[in-house]
Amino acid sequence: MMDTDDIARTARRAAAACAGLDASAAARRLAEDGILGLLAPEEVGGLGLPLSMAAPVVAAGAAELLPFPLTEALLLARLLGRSAPDTATAIVEGREVATIAWRGALRAEGSGVLHGTVGRAPMAGEARWLVAALEEGGAALIDLRAASGSVTVEEDMSSLDLERPAALVTLRGVPAAQRIPAGADWSALLADAQLLRAAEMLGSGEHCMETAIAHITERRAFGRPLVANQGLRFELARHKLALENAKHALDHALAVAGQDPHGQSIARLVARATAAEAGPMLCEGAIQLHGGMGFTWDVPMHRHLRRVRDAAAQCDAIGARAALAARVDEPAENEQGWAA
Amino acid sequence: MDSAALNALASSDPAAYRRAIRDWIATNLPPAWRSDAIDKVDPTLEELKDWEARMYRAGLWGAAWPKEYGGHGLTLREHLIVSQEVGRVPMPESVNSIGKELAGPIILAIGTEEQKKRFIPAILEMREIWCQGFSEPEAGSDLAGLRTRATHDGKVWRINGQKIWTSGGWRAQRCLLLARTGTLEDRHKGLALFALRMDAPGVTVQRIKQIDGEAEFAQVFFDNAPVEEIDALGAPNEGWKAAVRVLEIERATNRMYRAWRLENELRHLVSACRADPNLATLLSDPAYAQRLAQFRIEVEVLKRYVEGAVEDLVSGGSIGARGSLMKLHWSEAHQRFVALAMELLNQASLPPPPEVRAAQRRFRKAYMRARAETIYAGTSQIQLGIIADRILRLPRAA
Repeated sequence: MMDTDDIARTARRAAAACAGLDASAAARRLAEDGILGLLAPEEVGGLGLPLSMAAPVVAAGAAELLPFPLTEALLLARLLGRSAPDTATAIVEGREVATIAWRGALRAEGSGVLHGTVGRAPMAGEARWLVAALEEGGAALIDLRAASGSVTVEEDMSSLDLERPAALVTLRGVPAAQRIPAGADWSALLADAQLLRAAEMLGSGEHCMETAIAHITERRAFGRPLVANQGLRFELARHKLALENAKHALDHALAVAGQDPHGQSIARLVARATAAEAGPMLCEGAIQLHGGMGFTWDVPMHRHLRRVRDAAAQCDAIGARAALAARVDEPAENEQGWAA
Repeated sequence: MDSAALNALASSDPAAYRRAIRDWIATNLPPAWRSDAIDKVDPTLEELKDWEARMYRAGLWGAAWPKEYGGHGLTLREHLIVSQEVGRVPMPESVNSIGKELAGPIILAIGTEEQKKRFIPAILEMREIWCQGFSEPEAGSDLAGLRTRATHDGKVWRINGQKIWTSGGWRAQRCLLLARTGTLEDRHKGLALFALRMDAPGVTVQRIKQIDGEAEFAQVFFDNAPVEEIDALGAPNEGWKAAVRVLEIERATNRMYRAWRLENELRHLVSACRADPNLATLLSDPAYAQRLAQFRIEVEVLKRYVEGAVEDLVSGGSIGARGSLMKLHWSEAHQRFVALAMELLNQASLPPPPEVRAAQRRFRKAYMRARAETIYAGTSQIQLGIIADRILRLPRAA
């Protein structure tokens, strides 16, 4: 049995080996190490592990700028494990790429065919399967290749991500391969995606902070290493505090994620808000600490910032706080039993 | 329920242990002593000493201290449960927190058997209140520059010098004193810890009035004040190591109830606002809602630090420098929160309802007191330095 550190190390190696690969090749490489089936049930070749085991894996992927929609693959292999086992197996085995459109919803018309435009679908241009929400509730699994009717995939310009370019997908009269009912499984996918995004942001953020520390330790100015300047040391100490705060919040949210089938816990809101603010702060701070170098295309800080900004927009710190404000004096989930 | 029955519950039924503590507080705490009481009455020092001694006998102080020295022989997990229940109720602060949270742990760590038997029960039974003699006029954040001298005259140690910002110095029977046995150039070498008697000849205490109008802290002058050999804590050159440990404890586990008390402050503020038509409207104003929610987030994060530190300590780990993260986090978050509380409570209806007046009384004091929170136990700047040096391990200048 692998422990969390083993899994994270394996994921880091596998993600590094995916540099420069397209989505299909990356899927095959990740599947070699069993990474895509971490959350999927055993019937489709998965390991059936809890969400907390997937977090260090997506964080490792983020640190390596993995060019693959890993969060989507992990969660879809779990979601489809029972309802569409063939598709789930193909995802786990790295034979087919699946993604999710995180913005918008499709309209189902009379005969059940789907219409409309959804966005924020990472690498939809390279994927066979797309899952998108439906206006009536729940979601649909769509085969983008076999589609009768018409499918258009365009660049989604609201996204910054370079490794996993997001797409706008427009369907005109395309049948669903599978309907996913509104309910616990779909709610859990949406809520768990937020925690994996938080993990990705912190993976990128921590990597950027470490890179910035290495840079200012090497770099000399005014006759001494940059790192000797108290102004920079204090700034990095603040970055570390933001990172540790968010990690504490995320670890707790992951630990209690299984007790919260609807994804409405205070722990999740706290994790979303802290990560969505720490992630961009760490990446932007690292660019600043790199000086002019940080503004160049070749120094990959901007790639992290792009991914983290996309994730932060979806984690939506302001929305999380607004939801929490309505419940600001409610006991936390792990403290509710105290009154009994 | 007596403390033996309570302690027996700790391992067999933690939920019942928690309930018993909660029930004891609800039954025994005079309602007028609560900071959220509409008709609040400040207890006297004698009443507070008696209250804390009763809390100890009921099992609420000394949970994790060894039985042979009067403790209840449980673990930090039970101390955490007690702290959570203590935090959830706005009861008066301990008047002997230096004894219970700094002197006690350090005596248990480096004291002799005789010292443990003499000092620890006296702390728990509230026979000896302690103060902390670390800071000096010329040595605050730069503690290693302290000048108070301890010289051995062949019979006893003699203390000469001055301490300042000594909270509760005027009511203490003992001072946890850090003094120099070597020269000033030795810096952090040649420092020793003592359990000085505050009624010893040559000890003079002057109270200092603070920005909140109280005179809680004091300066203490030592003019050849004697300390018996049996009151020296640890070896004469171990003082700094012990002091660093004291400060780590101070930042990480001291007032473990804090996160839950801060949550109680948030709840109090929200309930007071709900009792007032003007303020109830402001609660749903998006700008205020964001700031209130942000404080709840910060409180939840603080709880995670505390719970994590307890689990690590129970499984044999050490506190280390992480207390600096916690201390920096809570002190700044709390300062933002009490400023927010004042902003809200300033907009109350006229005349303000009694619930709002009670909250105004609590938070105007809390707001002024909070200025000290980023100064004591190591300023925020000292904490940032510790995080940079000891947690991030950034290299120093060549």
